[in-house]
Amino acid sequence: MDAAEKANAERQARWLKEAKIGEGTYAVVYRAREKSTGRRVAIKKIKVGQFKDGLDMSAIREVKYLRELSHPNVIELLDVYSSKTNLNLVLEFLDTDLELIIKDRTLVFLPADIKSWVAMTFRGLEFCHRNFILHRDLKPNNLLVASNGQLKIADFGLARDFADPGYKMTCQVITRWYRPPELLFGARYYSTAVDIWSVGCIFAELMLRIPYLPGESDMDQLKTIFRALGTPTEDDWPGHTKLPDYVPVGQFQKTPLRDLFTAATADCLNLLGKCLLYEPRRRVSAKEALNHSYFFALPNPTHPSKLPKPPSAHSSKPSDDLDGNGDPVSSGPGGKAAGPNKRKRKLSGSGRGGKVDRMVSRKLDFGAVSTGSS
Amino acid sequence: MSRSGANGWLRGTTVRKGGAAASSQRPTQGHVVSTSSTIFGGGVKDPSGRTSEFFSMDDQCPVCKSDRYLNPKLRLLVSSCYHKMCESCIDRLFTLGPAPCPICQTTLRKLAFIPQTFEDLTVEKEVAVRRRMAKEFNKRREDFADSRSYNDYLEEVEDITFNLINDIDVAQTEARIQAYRAENAALIEFNIQREEQTTQALKEQEDYERRVREQRALELRREEDEEREDREKRERELIDKLEFSTQDATKLVAKARAEAQKRSAARSATTFRSTSSLLRSRAAQSTVIPDPVHVPLQDDWDDYSDKFVVQTNYHDPMSELVRKDKEGIMRAGGYRIEEAWERAVRSAVAGLDLQPLVGFGLEIEPDGDVVMTPV
Repeated sequence: MDAAEKANAERQARWLKEAKIGEGTYAVVYRAREKSTGRRVAIKKIKVGQFKDGLDMSAIREVKYLRELSHPNVIELLDVYSSKTNLNLVLEFLDTDLELIIKDRTLVFLPADIKSWVAMTFRGLEFCHRNFILHRDLKPNNLLVASNGQLKIADFGLARDFADPGYKMTCQVITRWYRPPELLFGARYYSTAVDIWSVGCIFAELMLRIPYLPGESDMDQLKTIFRALGTPTEDDWPGHTKLPDYVPVGQFQKTPLRDLFTAATADCLNLLGKCLLYEPRRRVSAKEALNHSYFFALPNPTHPSKLPKPPSAHSSKPSDDLDGNGDPVSSGPGGKAAGPNKRKRKLSGSGRGGKVDRMVSRKLDFGAVSTGSS
Repeated sequence: MSRSGANGWLRGTTVRKGGAAASSQRPTQGHVVSTSSTIFGGGVKDPSGRTSEFFSMDDQCPVCKSDRYLNPKLRLLVSSCYHKMCESCIDRLFTLGPAPCPICQTTLRKLAFIPQTFEDLTVEKEVAVRRRMAKEFNKRREDFADSRSYNDYLEEVEDITFNLINDIDVAQTEARIQAYRAENAALIEFNIQREEQTTQALKEQEDYERRVREQRALELRREEDEEREDREKRERELIDKLEFSTQDATKLVAKARAEAQKRSAARSATTFRSTSSLLRSRAAQSTVIPDPVHVPLQDDWDDYSDKFVVQTNYHDPMSELVRKDKEGIMRAGGYRIEEAWERAVRSAVAGLDLQPLVGFGLEIEPDGDVVMTPV
């Protein structure tokens, strides 16, 4: 056995897989435990076999960035190992996600709850940005919630570090409803402001309990945005007509946010408005947002442990799992641990535009080669 | 010319394992199918099928200059001196016994050619050398009295490996390996056995886990079957009753439904609470744990922001074009050159005031050497 293979086996032996809790085209998520401590973890098994050219790009990105980040509001990557032809990411186990919470109609949100979630989102995002990482796929479904109520940003499959001056980035990122207008217009040079727009959409969704800007196609997304926030003028957003994919989509009047968010305070709408500014450079930064008066105004943000959560359908006692009836189809709370309903990620166009011609690295798995040959 | 005709020579169905032809079916076990009668020893023995032979459309045999266009079945193999040539050249040159390599004149044998795994042949060589080294230099930390001597040993191994990879003092290095082998024959043998035992144990563990998994799946299926049979039985009973009983049909159906509901409720056993009770419980909670005042940042990760001030302008020829931004698209897209500058400045000051590594399993010896204890 090679040294690499041995190290891998040792790592694998630290974790005990228990039951499958979700499956997507790209990964299977298992509930698992650390053998030594009994700590609950989630193992995201990435199906490498189908990517015959090597590892999936998003898996590489996920490992690359999560190894760097350690913050209470960012999901923790505990370990990585391979098993047969698969790559396994051992992640912190998290009970649920914000999408499930928003959709659960039996839960009532207080204004302080929303404030607390938004603050935690900004805190995690600020940490990513402070470490020069763009998340590029923020949405409620990627904001996981731990049993103690802490919100954690997950799924760094589309993340990348800040581009050097003059380098193109792909505009095919961020789930459509949370995608900012500059990406819809095909901007290839952008910055942290793209994540802020997503947070703005999530903020609005928390208040409305339905997606704020649900476009049906990329074109329709622009229309939806303009219908809600008014068609931008050259003053609102200088230069946007020169963006690569610019198309005029019609003139719409801006309706004041107040008309839709009737119960929100002035502070709240001020911050929301700053997140949803058309001109990306004027959009609020995560750090500025955290110092916004909205967060300091009363009521104070709810203590995480008291935030509403769907009733846990999931037993935490290991003895219950031994009979193997951990329902594999339940998208129950545990199932969200790392986003099982993941669609196949967009791989079109790597981070650096045309600069990279091979988007996958060759498999360098020494363990796969037997020791028998010379 | 039809499309399929054009694809014919491109497809080259024989040699590839990881290529397009193999995408639909699982690659055949380990060995690569060759069209040649030659039997090649060595190379990739890979029962798991994870590695595949390196393959490129631009392959050309350096000896006969034949390429994939002329010979779609072209397969290049690597000699022990790490030169590539095609199967037909190997057949031609080495069938009559050992002969010099047409490129470097080293004497080669037909059996010493191996399939290529890595695009870069230096990697191929390094992997081969390391594999060879690992077979004999298999001492472990337990075999040494202290971490100092273990580190020395590791360094020596790395030295020898480096020499072998880069062909430095080959004769002397081989002598060193010989000496080591003679000195440690027993220990090497012992460690190989130990290794085999762990491999064996690991395999057994895997087998066991697979069996457990299968068992679990079987159980689950059985339960489902039972449940379905149960349901069907009840339905049959209900129909029989409806057929023969004198009772009111609607009553019978209602009774059966109620029973079914009770059963499913017992199974899922989910708890529902009304909105008002939820609100009440939340109100009760809020008196127990107070809501703290908002604190913008709650981590202690130092971003060195007290160490620098980002200027509004820098002499930065790299970003000249971006700053001018004639078309204005970078501005409209929201790219901020300030972010790049801040990154550069912060990376420059980060770690400036870090102490040299002390503690954390590191000990500084009197002579100033740092010894790292493996974690």
